[in-house]
Amino acid sequence: MEQETSTVDFGSMLEARGVSRRDFLKFCGALAVAAGLSQAAAPRVAIALEKSVIGAKEGGLFPVLWIEGASCTGCTESFAQIETPDVGKIVLELISLNYSDVLSAGAGYSVELAKKQTIESGSPYIVVYEGGITQGFGSNTLRVAMETGEEILCHAAEHAAAVVALGSCAVNGGWMAAYPNPAQATGVQAILKKHNIGTPVVNIPGCPANPEWLMSVLVQVLMMGGAEALVAGDVPAVVKTLGLDGEGKPQGIFGQTIHDNCERRGHFENGEFVYEFGSKEEELGYCLYPLGCKGPQTKSNCGVTMWNNRRSWCIQAGSPCLGCCEANPNDPGDNWVEVNTPFYERHRDLHIGDWFFQPTVVAGAITGIVALALIIHGFGMKKSGRTDGGAPFEQRRAWDVKNPDKSIGQYEYSIYEDNDPVVLQKAQQEIAKQYEQATEEVAEAAEAAAEIEEGR
Amino acid sequence: MARSIIDPITRIEGHMRVEMEVENGTVREAWVSGGSFRGMEKVVEHRKPEDAAQIVQRICGVCPVSHNHASTIAAEKAYGIKIPNRARIIRNLIEGAQFLHSHILWLYNLAALDYVNPINAVTGNADVKLAYDIAQGGAVPELGVPLPAPLSVSSDLYEVSARLNKFASNGQLSIFSGNWFEAKDVDGGSAYHLTPELDLILTSHYLEALKYQARSSEIAGLLGGKMPHVMTIIPGGTAFVPTAQKLDDLWAMVNEVYDWVEKTLIPDTLALAVAYPEGLTWGGGCGRFGAWGVFERGSLAYNDRYMPAGVLATKGSLEVSDLDESLITEYVGRSWYEGEGTFTAPDFTTNPKFTEYDVNDRYTWCKAPAYDGKALECTSLSRVLVAYARGQQPEYAKKNAWMVEQVDNFLGAIAPVALAVGKTPLEAAVSMLGRTAIRQLETLYIAQLMKDWTAELIATVKGGSLEDIAAMEGMEAADFASTNMTDYFEKPTTDTGAGSGFWEAPRGALYHSEKVSGGKIDGYQIIIPTTWNLAPINQNGEHGPIEQALMDGCPVFDGTEGDLEMPINALRLIHSYDPCVSCAVHVTDVKTGKKFSTVTNPWGVK
Repeated sequence: MEQETSTVDFGSMLEARGVSRRDFLKFCGALAVAAGLSQAAAPRVAIALEKSVIGAKEGGLFPVLWIEGASCTGCTESFAQIETPDVGKIVLELISLNYSDVLSAGAGYSVELAKKQTIESGSPYIVVYEGGITQGFGSNTLRVAMETGEEILCHAAEHAAAVVALGSCAVNGGWMAAYPNPAQATGVQAILKKHNIGTPVVNIPGCPANPEWLMSVLVQVLMMGGAEALVAGDVPAVVKTLGLDGEGKPQGIFGQTIHDNCERRGHFENGEFVYEFGSKEEELGYCLYPLGCKGPQTKSNCGVTMWNNRRSWCIQAGSPCLGCCEANPNDPGDNWVEVNTPFYERHRDLHIGDWFFQPTVVAGAITGIVALALIIHGFGMKKSGRTDGGAPFEQRRAWDVKNPDKSIGQYEYSIYEDNDPVVLQKAQQEIAKQYEQATEEVAEAAEAAAEIEEGR
Repeated sequence: MARSIIDPITRIEGHMRVEMEVENGTVREAWVSGGSFRGMEKVVEHRKPEDAAQIVQRICGVCPVSHNHASTIAAEKAYGIKIPNRARIIRNLIEGAQFLHSHILWLYNLAALDYVNPINAVTGNADVKLAYDIAQGGAVPELGVPLPAPLSVSSDLYEVSARLNKFASNGQLSIFSGNWFEAKDVDGGSAYHLTPELDLILTSHYLEALKYQARSSEIAGLLGGKMPHVMTIIPGGTAFVPTAQKLDDLWAMVNEVYDWVEKTLIPDTLALAVAYPEGLTWGGGCGRFGAWGVFERGSLAYNDRYMPAGVLATKGSLEVSDLDESLITEYVGRSWYEGEGTFTAPDFTTNPKFTEYDVNDRYTWCKAPAYDGKALECTSLSRVLVAYARGQQPEYAKKNAWMVEQVDNFLGAIAPVALAVGKTPLEAAVSMLGRTAIRQLETLYIAQLMKDWTAELIATVKGGSLEDIAAMEGMEAADFASTNMTDYFEKPTTDTGAGSGFWEAPRGALYHSEKVSGGKIDGYQIIIPTTWNLAPINQNGEHGPIEQALMDGCPVFDGTEGDLEMPINALRLIHSYDPCVSCAVHVTDVKTGKKFSTVTNPWGVK
């Protein structure tokens, strides 16, 4: 199918992002004040700006400094993929992107000067900060133009109207902060706090951040907050108008889980799951929960916004959510890699020092013993005839019985269906094996714990 | 003599500084520095290979798929998995989409502003009607020679001109901040040679490129869930299973991108070559080339790849040898790491230690890799030259025929300039402009392959015959003898082993290596293209490839002190390597007690 050509006018684009025309006019008024025009000029500016997105522009562009910290440039790259509006329109007709490692024509001292002049201009500007701040070796793990990354952020943020911490790395160090956090990475908010810089921070996690999220926040930072609140540094007003939650994240984007809006949610409810990559169930679009999908605990609206010009998103393409939006700005250790690995399993790894283990090792071992006792007890009851024909175990799941043609997975052997001694023996052997394994694991765990204790 | 410094280098990925000693209008000595250390290898230790394949993508947001792919291949080698045929094709398509994205973005949105001045289209009052005439093959008297090929006009040039005028009349410079367009040539004239009309046409292509790099990424998004950082390339195959609707979208998008690439990239490259021919005379570099190969054919053999593996170890020679992992070493004596050791692949045991920036001692976070003890250029130029060299070998001639023909055409086109400066065409190709131009041959090749692979994927999903499918990639049915032709994923049957993934990022040769024990990674190593290219001085005092290229006659106007701050030719040269600096910095700390004991290839045959 050929791409449909669609023309999106600015007004409906704003509406789609929850911005009314009235809000927009208010923003334009504020912009006019900022630009030294009178409030009366507002309608004229509004027309000009509305036109600017469709090609006929007059009036000012809002200055933005896009600074890369310890980053992979993935968030810039992600931003470059936006098509509503595209990057050309944004940098020529909406913002004045005075500093960007990736897009600036100038290099060396000339772009550094452009940054300095923007900071010193006295006009409001926004900093988009991408990547983490690595504090290792006196923050020399990140050096640009003979300054450390930490100094660069502080200089740019101090006079900014707001800092957008873009991507999980900027929010709390991201993967870099995962154990053992070799470069001592952390996020924007933590660094500003450390240096007593009160500039409001908008946290947009994601690895990378979805460009639609940045665009909607950019539009809202400019409009909903009002230039007055930003310039006056009225943080509560900014927080309120931007709808930020306690972690500085826009609630409209990060208020619900992936699971809440997942296109495969219906299959979850039906108990229809994908148990192996690339399987028939995947082709049918079943739920990826058994493959470790982090959708139920990850807050983001990916399934609504989708990615790459709304072409697809992780779960639609067959991959479980890795939870890349997991980022607590107050705790670098609470980053998406640390919390969500192993990605394709249902439990996270725990570690004591360098010893890594799955909670299931301990939990499995303990519950294994209890379960075994119960099962043995059950068979005992049955054997001794103290139950009337045996306990009424559910032999097949009720849903599978109702939908025999749609049932997936296999029942390996029906130990409860009859009293075939061979089958029963096989089952008992299997249980004994599991018990042995569990006992071993418990012993190992205890030993390792003792070793660590000794080491201390 | 004077120092000239560019810090930061912009329009690249990551943080990079270059410092140059300039004498009589050329660079006498150069030092390049990578400015960021993050420590990826340490983070993936203790984690599963499947997790590592996802995490390592975060090395680079421009070439994430390549890291994902190389790591996945390393895991598959460690687990002894041969991936199913359909997974291979899907993975080629995702990788190809990323290459197209990266190459288009690089040429137009990163490198082009070294040659194209959009502001000049306004201040020079570009005549739009004349621009249309020129695009259709009209004369450009200012250039002295006719344009080799008509230029594509997909945009309304009147509209582009109006947009630029409005932008300019507003007065804010946005991404054009910095007055960089005032840079001068060595003779003191403007460093920007295009007429206002050509600037207008190429600016329209700059804007179109923003769309087509995004469309290319969208293909990766379709098959990978999102881009950057795709989700579906996993050890064992792919999580993506095509449906009719997805195949339909894929088919439409690969054709759309091909059509634009085919009519736009090559004519633009020729136009730039005509306007900046002196770029063919300097910026050669170390002259030794390495390519690890990318885009698998059915055999999954390195030398069979669509862009094959090989090393051109002798300067000026096309004699190609197979890559040998044991010849790869890394030296840290000029970088911010402990000690002065040289380590052999894949056993690099180094710890970071910042001292201070001092070009006479340690000056970068980037280590100095060497192949057989010497610097090695790993770029798109390396891949194309290796494919060209492989194409001269009878057993690989058929597989590389397209590239051989294109390179021969390219060499023919630059022959007049080469002869004028007393070089062979091949010598002239190894230059700043040659490196910049030849990448477009690869872009066109991949754009075509994307169409071929889509056809092949559709054929396999429809259940086409083995003979037909083999023929679609120049192979025999026998090459697919042991290949799983129907599935998308092959489950690992072990959780212990060691493997290396040799692959290519758009910017050059990429290497991931891992040792896995009990399903967890014990040791992880990465060597990235830009580490090769951005290497500092090595143990023998030899400069790294970019440093050597800068010292190979890079002209810098030093008429006045101030102009040393806009050494545009140095920037052009650095962009010709398409650096990706945040990729380039790496460290490893193999855990105590887990040292690998043998010297050459301790993890066994891969």
